[in-house]
Amino acid sequence: MGKFWSLVFLSVPVLGVAVFVAAASWGYWFPQNVSAHGGQIDHLFMVILWLTGAVFLATEIVLAVSLWRFDGAKSPRARFSRGNMRIELGLAAVVGLLLVFITVYQLEDWAEAKIRQPDLPPTVEVNGRQFEWVMRYPGPNGELGDADDLFSPGDLHVPVDEDILVSLVSEDVLHSFYLPNLRIKQDAVPGMRIPVWFRATETGVFDLVCAELCGWGHYKMAGRLIVESRADYEAFLTRLEAEQNEDGFEEQQPTAANTSQRHPSVAEVVYRRAAR
Amino acid sequence: MTTISPSQTTRHRRGRLRRFSSALILAALFVASGSCSRYEPPPFRLNLEGLDRTEADSSGTLRYSDEKLQQIVDATTALFGTPDEPFVFEETELDIALLRRAAGPVSSDEHGNPRGLYREHCAHCHGVTGDGAGPTALFLNPYPRDFRPGVFKFTSTHQGGKPTDEDLRRTMVRGIPGTAMPSFALLPEEDLDALIEYVKYLSMRGESEQLIFPLVIDDEEELDEDILLEEVLEPVVGLWQSSTLPQFVVVPEEPRPSDRAASIAAGRELFQGERGCAKCHGPTGLGDGTERNYDMWNNKKLNLDREDVAARWSLPLQELRPRNLRHGVYRGGRRPLDIYRRIYAGVKGTPMPAAGPPYGQPARSDAMPEGSKNLSSAQIWNLVDYVLSLPNEEHPEIASAERPAESPKAGSPGGAGG
Repeated sequence: MGKFWSLVFLSVPVLGVAVFVAAASWGYWFPQNVSAHGGQIDHLFMVILWLTGAVFLATEIVLAVSLWRFDGAKSPRARFSRGNMRIELGLAAVVGLLLVFITVYQLEDWAEAKIRQPDLPPTVEVNGRQFEWVMRYPGPNGELGDADDLFSPGDLHVPVDEDILVSLVSEDVLHSFYLPNLRIKQDAVPGMRIPVWFRATETGVFDLVCAELCGWGHYKMAGRLIVESRADYEAFLTRLEAEQNEDGFEEQQPTAANTSQRHPSVAEVVYRRAAR
Repeated sequence: MTTISPSQTTRHRRGRLRRFSSALILAALFVASGSCSRYEPPPFRLNLEGLDRTEADSSGTLRYSDEKLQQIVDATTALFGTPDEPFVFEETELDIALLRRAAGPVSSDEHGNPRGLYREHCAHCHGVTGDGAGPTALFLNPYPRDFRPGVFKFTSTHQGGKPTDEDLRRTMVRGIPGTAMPSFALLPEEDLDALIEYVKYLSMRGESEQLIFPLVIDDEEELDEDILLEEVLEPVVGLWQSSTLPQFVVVPEEPRPSDRAASIAAGRELFQGERGCAKCHGPTGLGDGTERNYDMWNNKKLNLDREDVAARWSLPLQELRPRNLRHGVYRGGRRPLDIYRRIYAGVKGTPMPAAGPPYGQPARSDAMPEGSKNLSSAQIWNLVDYVLSLPNEEHPEIASAERPAESPKAGSPGGAGG
């Protein structure tokens, strides 16, 4: 029976590795990277995947070999062992060194992504609330947080190949601002204003989602990241500004004053009767 | 052969008992999961808001007997169908194909078109019936809109007017900031159309139901289709169609004044004095006027004790706070045009009155005698400018902490990565 179980357990690492190898060709791998620093994040991911993959394989192979060799039929008597202090210390040291290695290895990338905030005014404020993302752009005066700010629910427009500083806030509960194509994921915490920065390298429309379970509508708390050329971006802001300052005045439009001059239609009579 | 001691027997029995009970639990789970998968179409809930079901006439017969209520349900169903199978008369001018897209359980048809959009996106708060009393409603302030009375706060139409399709679309695409209503901007155009149509459907249905009530309860009429069409559907649909015609949309008669400072000063005069805006919104615009306010969905619950309200309404009494105009959050939209329309036609269903004239009456002009209550287009623009200036106005009585215009430049690096 030991051989049977050994093969069953061996199938786990074999199938596991096979799935990882085949995943990319099935289309299940990283989403397209359009971020200047996304390559570093992907690299870290791969380093950790190789490390954990090696440990996983080693552990599984030891398990399978043990099952094969120490079959109950072959060695019916269990033998008591106090363990081997040297081997255990050695394993602990290897694991500890690996952790130290990961810590040191990622320091620079972490600093790039989370600590060395670029010295520029915020491009946009992103406000997470149940269950939408609302972007707030500085108006014509360039200052965020005053009367001429422009609001864009759902759509985050940014110019391509420029450093973008997002000022991230939450209106109600924990959300997580997740741009998979930019390898950006940052919690939005109520009461905190958290800076997030990136530089998008390709134009297109990408996903903006919430990656923190924030309530029943979490699954549809989505938006769009629209990376566009500087000209398109400015056209967008102009459009937003024109829309937001709309006063609705048009010379030729019929108004209450001039429509009342003509003979009222049946609809108007019905409406006036009801409105009284 | 082994002899079995008494203690072993009991252990044996206990083991059998345990196996037996786990088998029972498993069987119960199977039965339960079986009954879950059987779909029971939900009904439209009869609108009993505020009714005292125990009310009886002098002879002791119940005013709202089960038979009478059933008649009302039947008549409403004859006009509008059920949540899963909507039906509309041609007179409503509602598109049945769009309604089917929004109605029923969440699924898709053989072409992959969605079905049940309303239940997917709206029913959680607004309820299957559109009664604004879905499972989440109790926890929200303000409550989700109850579509049945057919009153919508944010419309572009005159006093008492219904929302146009464009108004409903705007609310869905922009959401309502400061409330639980999010933006549905990412829904495809056709899904939005379907939901707009369905909201109108639920609204017309709810209004019709209210007109059927007196016919059945008071007049004890035998309801046939002619009566239903003439006395119920026609008035309801008539108002929807007539009040949303292009000429009933509020359009400013003059452009926004270019001298902003003078306009703001004139607006301040009106706000603090003649118009009495300060009575509710407070002299500083913080929404701290002294009056207690209730909207039309809540004011009938006043002066009743909690048990009565609980017995007769779906949701407890909720107070309405006059808007704090210094937050810079505008529920009905932040365009000057939106604020203009709020002031011109009021916020429907709330104590916020219309400052502009009702449809067809001329606005006040300088030639008109004092005492005419309506504001002119220019005066409304003054109020708009004053209101829009409030979030960034310095005021000696207001501590800076109350102002929302915090500087976004501050912000410490770090914070936990998701």
